[in-house]
Amino acid sequence: MDFSQASLLFVVAAPGAVFATFALLWLLGWVPNERAVSRITGLTFSACILALAVIVWTLVSTGAPAVMVAFGNWFSVHDYHFPLVLMADRLSLPFLGLTVVLSGLIGQFSATYLHREHGFLRFFLLLHLFAFGSLLAFAAGSFDLLVAGWEMVGITSVLLIAFFQQRPAPVENGLRVFAVYRACDIGLLLGVFAINHWAGTASFVAGLPAFTGTQTTIICLLLLIAAAGKAAQVPFSGWLPRAMEGPTPSSAIFYGAISIHAGAYLLLRVQPWLAQSPLASTLVIVIGAVTAVHGTIVGRASADAKTSLAYASLTQVGVVFVEIGMGWKWIAVAHILGHATVRTLQFLRAPSMLHDYHQMHSAFGGEISSTGSRLEELLPETVQLWIYRWALDRGHLDTILDRFVIHPLILLSNVFARIDSLGLHQPTSRREKVVLSMRSPAGQGGD
Amino acid sequence: MLDAGLMKSVAISAPWFAAILTAVTRRQVRAIGFLAAFISVVASAFALRAATGSELLGETLMVLFSCLTVVAMLMLPRRDCNPPTIAGILFVTGFTLLGYSTDNLLVLLVAWISTTIPFFVARWFGARTWRPRVGLLLSSVALAVAIGLIAVNGHAMSINELKGRSPGGMAVFGFLVLALIFRKGICPAHAWVADAVDGGPAIPTALLLNGHFGAFLVAKLIVPLFPHATRDLFPVLSYLALATALYVAIRALTENSPRRLLAFLALSQSACILAGLESRTAEGMTGAFVHWFVVTASTMGLFGILRLLEVRFGENLTASKHLGLAEHAPRLAVFFVIFGLALVGLPGTLSFCSQDLLIHGTLMSHPLTGLLLPIAIAMNAVSIFRLFTRLFLGKRRTGFTVMADALPRERWILTVVVLFVVLGGLFPNAIVVLVPVSSDAVEPVTYSSRPTIQMFGSSSRGAKGVPITFWGTP
Repeated sequence: MDFSQASLLFVVAAPGAVFATFALLWLLGWVPNERAVSRITGLTFSACILALAVIVWTLVSTGAPAVMVAFGNWFSVHDYHFPLVLMADRLSLPFLGLTVVLSGLIGQFSATYLHREHGFLRFFLLLHLFAFGSLLAFAAGSFDLLVAGWEMVGITSVLLIAFFQQRPAPVENGLRVFAVYRACDIGLLLGVFAINHWAGTASFVAGLPAFTGTQTTIICLLLLIAAAGKAAQVPFSGWLPRAMEGPTPSSAIFYGAISIHAGAYLLLRVQPWLAQSPLASTLVIVIGAVTAVHGTIVGRASADAKTSLAYASLTQVGVVFVEIGMGWKWIAVAHILGHATVRTLQFLRAPSMLHDYHQMHSAFGGEISSTGSRLEELLPETVQLWIYRWALDRGHLDTILDRFVIHPLILLSNVFARIDSLGLHQPTSRREKVVLSMRSPAGQGGD
Repeated sequence: MLDAGLMKSVAISAPWFAAILTAVTRRQVRAIGFLAAFISVVASAFALRAATGSELLGETLMVLFSCLTVVAMLMLPRRDCNPPTIAGILFVTGFTLLGYSTDNLLVLLVAWISTTIPFFVARWFGARTWRPRVGLLLSSVALAVAIGLIAVNGHAMSINELKGRSPGGMAVFGFLVLALIFRKGICPAHAWVADAVDGGPAIPTALLLNGHFGAFLVAKLIVPLFPHATRDLFPVLSYLALATALYVAIRALTENSPRRLLAFLALSQSACILAGLESRTAEGMTGAFVHWFVVTASTMGLFGILRLLEVRFGENLTASKHLGLAEHAPRLAVFFVIFGLALVGLPGTLSFCSQDLLIHGTLMSHPLTGLLLPIAIAMNAVSIFRLFTRLFLGKRRTGFTVMADALPRERWILTVVVLFVVLGGLFPNAIVVLVPVSSDAVEPVTYSSRPTIQMFGSSSRGAKGVPITFWGTP
């Protein structure tokens, strides 16, 4: 293993090691102080940035297409192998860089922002786990490994949405986001299964395997479900405003920068397959375009700053999807880098937005003038009202999901519960319920 | 070199002696139980070292179950740590180990029945409702009839001698499948499992379920003895297992009793084990075996934590509202979420590996019905996360003064189990190599013999994941 390979391994493993060490020590009873946590976080991500610089320098100086670290198979059963390969190529490097730089920045910002906040250590633990998951997904040399990182990002995202656990709303919203993530990840699991099944491997270090047209389309459509879910594209956009319940720094890095662009990364990774499949690439464009329009309209009717920013993110990611569908791969990468950076800044400034506006007003010497006429005034009033209602309900996406997926499932579950209770004596009175609950056998607390 | 037979005898008899001792002395019962379980672990480990071929399955499971008993002994809250409970757990452990280790059908039947006896006695581990008793009774009767028919038709009681002979034909096969369905809680005979957990003691019932005698029956008896019937009829059972996984996963979505919800999740994940075994692909069977480890470790941890919560915060826990227990017991909350997510495929845990293999195996053998498996797992993930959020998150509860988080005894043993699940996930080959599904055991049957695979078009992989026979079967 040469220095650049060791650097790549360090970049991916360092946040994971910090997380594991802190978590294990905490489970055994040790609680580190805030200063130690923030300093170790700063040191970790600074070292990761340096290590990443080594990789970039190696690639530039040698002209090699990628730095790869292969550890053989994580596990193998007969012909099925789970290759453990890390790879930093020209596509993954920008995402790796974005992750370590923004994670370090968020760590430093949060050390002050969450000072003496209940859950300070929890936030930093989840930040490290998130960074580890993201870096693993972006540096994965196989789709199997990408799934592992992908799922970690999802879980940390959900746990951070439920960060303010004293209030029921963040907790319930976290659960909803988790459900959407898991549902969409089925597409990723099936897509990776199909790749393994048809190609014999899910590794892409030697390039993407070649498939027939139908196979390519099936794989792309399955991966598109996962990408659209992670990037909150239509019809899965309903979870995005719910995710704003988390602390602002986590919203910034998840929904302004890294997590929301993970779907785009997946599509960029399989872009040669998308180019082979007109159906899949058209669908990517349509989903992206519809999401962009949806995001811009709904964002205008959002009442709070973070939700407006989230929908602004959604609009830009929609445009990125269109670029990927059109085959403009490097424009999409540049767009992601620029957008992630600016949006992170906007999210981090969101709590100080009123202060910023007051400063701007002072600088202008009064109220800032209006930006001009609004295009929606050209529409008939009834259409304006209809669009406004549509935007207020966030495109009815949650309503549709509730009505056509969640309620039928709950109904089915209740039917199953009734079937299961057949033949059992149901207590009819409160007294009977109490009597039944007091009949406890040995080892159940009654002795 | 220690004799493997002797080690097995020690592993089996130590819990029985300890059970008698606890019943007689009625003092230091936890220490006696722990010591007996620990002796079983060590003796089973020595037996495993000497095991080869078809013995490997039984010996591995002996180690696993002994470890599980050690965990149970240390996790039992003081309130439950009484002579009847400890003796009952040791009684179940001894007979479970006997069932795993034997090659004789009659002994297997005795072990099968004996593990259920404490659950028939109302003052021991008996549930409040009739369904657990009926489910366990029917499974025992079905197995007894099957073994009786085998004795009449096969003229032998040794599993090794009967391999591949299909003794008793379809009738015996049918009774064995019935025994499996009732014991494992496969739809439509699933309801007793939730009743047993809800109305009985949590930790002993978790031990009963984690014996996975139904899956063991498939691996040890049904597949080796009935290779032809297995090939023709197992898909039906596989569909039933997948349907159970999905049915119970849907059922869990609205369940508000934490015990019942956990029972449904354990049942759904156990059905995944069965689906993997019945996929008859190397991936599916290896995945099922690894998942067996994960499900036992995780569900034991989950049921144990739930019982600790009940003891500390009262037995009226519910998932219908947020209880905010994480404020009082943050470590128990973290252990719970790790075990919960480890049960449903959290990356970095052993279940990520097992579910990867299970999904591959079942999809290869049943491309359409196999889709139910990832859907069921996704629903289980939502249910376990819902239970976690309802129990642990929310506004801090008031009304009691100081409540203990995980005590050192509980904390250390839970950390060991977490380390097993996590280190197993980081180094899954350590577990995968324990699965003796070698290339010699693979039947050379290719995909082309199964039309359902054709929906994926022509495979470039030849005989990958071909149907196989089981542990050591020629």
